[in-house]
Formats: sequence, C-alpha cells, structure tokens
Amino acid sequence: MNRELNWPTIRLLIVKDWQLFQKQLAAYLLAAFVALAFLGLAKPWAFYIGSLLLIIILVAVACFAISTSLLTERKEQTLAFVMSLPVSPLDFTVAKLVGNLATFLVPFVIIGLCTALVIFSTPLPNGLMVLTTLVFAHILLAYCVSLAVAMRIESEGWNTFVMIASMVMINPFLMAIGQLHGVSGVARGDAITWSGPVLAILSAQLVLSLSCLAFAAWWNGRKPAFY
Amino acid sequence: MPNLDTGAAVAAPTDARIHALDHLRALAMLAGVLFHAALAYSPLMHAFWPTAYRASSPWVDALAWLLHLVRMPLFFLVAGYFTTWLIERRGMTGLMQHRVRRILVPFLLAWPLVHVAMSAATRQAAHTVQNPSPFLSMLREWLALPDSPWMPPGTGHLWFLYYLLLFTALVWIARTLGWSGLFIRLLRLGAARVALLLPLLVLPGFLLTTTPHPAPESLLPQFWAVALYGPFFALGAALHGRLDTLQRLRRWLWPMLATCLLLYLAFLFQLSRFGNEDWMRHAPWSTALLQACIAGWGTLAILVAGLRWLARPNAWLAYLSRSAYWTYLLHLPVLFAVQYALLDVALAWPIAFLVASGITLAVCLLSYELLVRRTRLRHWVG
Repeated sequence: MNRELNWPTIRLLIVKDWQLFQKQLAAYLLAAFVALAFLGLAKPWAFYIGSLLLIIILVAVACFAISTSLLTERKEQTLAFVMSLPVSPLDFTVAKLVGNLATFLVPFVIIGLCTALVIFSTPLPNGLMVLTTLVFAHILLAYCVSLAVAMRIESEGWNTFVMIASMVMINPFLMAIGQLHGVSGVARGDAITWSGPVLAILSAQLVLSLSCLAFAAWWNGRKPAFY
Repeated sequence: MPNLDTGAAVAAPTDARIHALDHLRALAMLAGVLFHAALAYSPLMHAFWPTAYRASSPWVDALAWLLHLVRMPLFFLVAGYFTTWLIERRGMTGLMQHRVRRILVPFLLAWPLVHVAMSAATRQAAHTVQNPSPFLSMLREWLALPDSPWMPPGTGHLWFLYYLLLFTALVWIARTLGWSGLFIRLLRLGAARVALLLPLLVLPGFLLTTTPHPAPESLLPQFWAVALYGPFFALGAALHGRLDTLQRLRRWLWPMLATCLLLYLAFLFQLSRFGNEDWMRHAPWSTALLQACIAGWGTLAILVAGLRWLARPNAWLAYLSRSAYWTYLLHLPVLFAVQYALLDVALAWPIAFLVASGITLAVCLLSYELLVRRTRLRHWVG
C-alpha cells in the first residue's frame, strides 16, 4: 500500500473544515468578548457569570468542533464525496485530526490567553493560574477522548454520551482538586507554585490527551479502506 | 487622532470626502492633545489629574468637557468609515494585515515604552516637585509605605488602539455572522431619523459609566465603552459610500449646533450640582441622556460641517494628518514631563497651558520630522 501522504489534498480538506468553522469561531469570539467584559465589571456576580461563560464556550468549542467536522459529515454523506478524491484513509485521518485540532485549539488558546490576561491584569490572586491550568487541561483531555471516540465509533448516541460524560466530569474533577492544598491553598495567594501532585495531574492529563490522539491516528491510519 | 486606520499608508486620498475626513481626524488629534493639556487646569479634575496645576479656571471645564464628548465619537466614526474603505480595497485579509502592521505592532511596542516613561516621570515628580498636585501628594504618601499599593496595568492613553483592534475583530464577527447590514438598514431610514436614533443607541454607554466618562484603560473590554463608541464606529462603517445620506442634515447644521450648546449648558449645570459621592456613581438618566444627545448630534454636526468646509486639499491639515499617529502616541509622556516641570513655576493658567501644549506639539512634530517622516517608521506610525 502506498503510505505517502497526499499533502495538497490534505491541506484542502483542512481548509474546508476551517472555512466551515468560521461562523462558529465568530460566535465563540463574540461570546468570549462578552465574558471578558463581564469580568471587566470587577463585581463578584459579574466574575461568576464571566468565568462560567468562558467554561461554557470552551465546552461548546470542544463539542461542536467534533460534531461539525465528523458526526454531521457522516450524516450528510460527505464521506462518499471525499472517497471520490485522490486520498487514502490515512490522508483522510490526518486531515480530520489536524483540521479538528485547529478548529479546537485556536479558540482554546485565545480563551486561555484571555483568561491569563484577566488573572494577571486584575487584583485576582495570581495563584488562580494553577487551578485554571488544570481546568483547561481537563477540557483538553475531554476533547481528545471525545475526538478519539468520534473517529473510532460511528454511533451518534455513543459519541454524544462520551462528549457529555467527559465534559460533565469537570464537576467531580473540580471537587477533587479543590481538596488538594497545592491547588486551593495556592489559589488564594499571589505566588504561582506548581506542587508535586499538581504537576503529576497535569502530566497525566497531557499524556492521556496525546495518547488518545495517537490512538485515533494509529487506528484509523492503519485501515486499508474507508469502510 | 491618528491616521492609523485611514489607509493613508496604502494610497493618497482620492476624493474630496476623504480629504474632509482626513482633516477632521487631524483636528480631532489636535483636540486630543489640547484636551489632555487642559485637564491640568480643570477644577473638576484637580483632585485626580497627576499634573493638576495650582491655578485653574472653570472656563477650562466649560470647554474641555464639550470637546471630550465629541472628539472620540468623531474619531471612531471616521475609523469605522475607513475600515469599510479598506475592506473594499483590500478585503478582510488585507484589513487584518493592515491592522496588525499599523495598530497591533505599534501598540505592543509603544505601550510598555509609554508606561515606563510616564511611570518614571510621575515617580520622579512625586519625589522632587515642591508644589505637588493632590494626586502627586497622595502618590508620595503611597511610595513612603513599606508595602505600597499595586496598580493593575492599563492601556493608558493608547486605549483607543486596543478598542480599534476590538472593533476590527467585531467587524469580522459581524460580517461572518451576516450582521454587517444592520446599520446600513438604519441609514435607509433617512438622515433625520438616524440623527434622532443615534443618542438612544449610545445612551446605554453613558448610563453604564460615571460622569464625565473616563478613558476605558482596563485591559479587559468595558461594556460601556463598546456601547458608547461601537455605534459611532458602526455608523461610520455604514456611511462609506453613503455619505450623501447626510446631505439632508446640512440645513439642520446650525440648529443642531445650537441645540448641542443649550444641552451642554444644562449638562454643565448638572455637573455643578454633583456632590462628592456622585463622581463615583453611574450617571443618572437625565445626565446620561444629555451626554448622549450632545455626543450624537455634536458628532454628526461636526461631520456635516467637515464635509462642507474641509473637503479641499490643505497642506497644513494634510501634514497634521500624516503626523497625527506619531504625535498622539508620544504626546502624553512629553506633556506630563513638561507639566511636572511647570508645577514649581508660578504662571497664569493660560500661559502655562500654552507653554505646555506648545512644547509638547513642538517635540512631537520635530521628532516626527527627524525619526518618522523620512524613515521606515512611517510605514508603521507615519
């Protein structure tokens, strides 16, 4: 089997996903501006609304990126059209992975930078960066799990379940890390201290995220045919 | 206000209307420098302004706050106009490239430099000035504390660059979501109705902040600033190619200006009755409505007047327009340094005002000649 990648077509498929994503990105950016403006009011209720809105946007970005480029595409039979292009299953897998990661990571990074800006430019304790980083890493992990499942399993029901379950896990995750002194204690102060348990959790989150992506790439890439 | 978004670096203005808007922007820039210079002699700002002078006059307040209510709305209206102008000539990608080169890069480079220069000048003044302003006296006490309070970083007088970037992003969002025609539909209602609606559109902005409205210097977007300047920017963007719509307002020019002056007198009367705690509260309805009417009608009146009398090429205004961006970036640190030095010199306030603004403009224009006009810097800030 020819394992050489068809980069020009892969690039076109990524651009196609990116262009389809423009409206969503615009809506996310608008919502992020609103969230930041709430945070800019410097009132406790506005801080709660703003930070909640930022988490909702992140979850929406993660779910809609997968839903638009994989699940909806399957329903609308776009794969049949893609099969008519000079692409192998590996090309298609690479295009889907890179396209999906781009549509997720661009708003993810923008929102992450905005959140850091909020923490460092306001009287909020800088130690909150530790908790924030763990929350962002959890959403990244939930996204990677959902993406790997979406690329492996075609059932819409299972995909919806995994997306919701992995994102809802943020609640027990927050409760659990709230018990750690390296998180709750640090979050009240201005010093940003990366304790051993925090670094271990972060490492686990990143390793698991990368493993999910590697598994999705390996599983789909080794298929000799689309079906 | 600077010519950062006129596209002046792209091509010379080609029609009389763009000359008029370029000239309006040059005058608005000059108004910005004079406004900041005047605040040192304002009784209203005496307790807050770092360079507050020993002599002040209520006449300064009477003129300065009128200027304050129209200069930035006018700037954002002109900026909106030229944003559409750029999109039509270069497309959205071209606009973004232009914004990165002419706004983002200068902002990121100028912001820390301006911050360091102004902080250093203010700290030096707090230590050395014999007749400090109330703000400097307070700062002197703060600096003497073992654990002096920390001020969150802000954009300073470069906030307009931050909001131009924000509005550029909002333009992209509006176009992507198909909302860019909203203000064009509003213009179809006719000039008179637009003039009547404009104060209502900007009213929430005035309601959400204190009176007189401050500069939105926070690094986080402020609802009130978006609500106040956004409609002017959007109106300017919709007016591109539709300036004829304003023709019908020409016969209303003098009545509009007269109405603005009457409303402004009412606004000054309200300001004079403010108690100490009122400065920290959001504007009451009546004050916000007065400000919205003055800002909306005053800005439209100046725009109509500019289109009528400033449409011909003028070498002086063209030069001011080209040097406006650099002048505006540089003027506040220079002005503060000069005004700190003047704090220990006893002068009548008009003389101190003329000396401070004259030296500031001279330094800015001279440095423009030497550092920008004939160098590569002109592509970024010329």
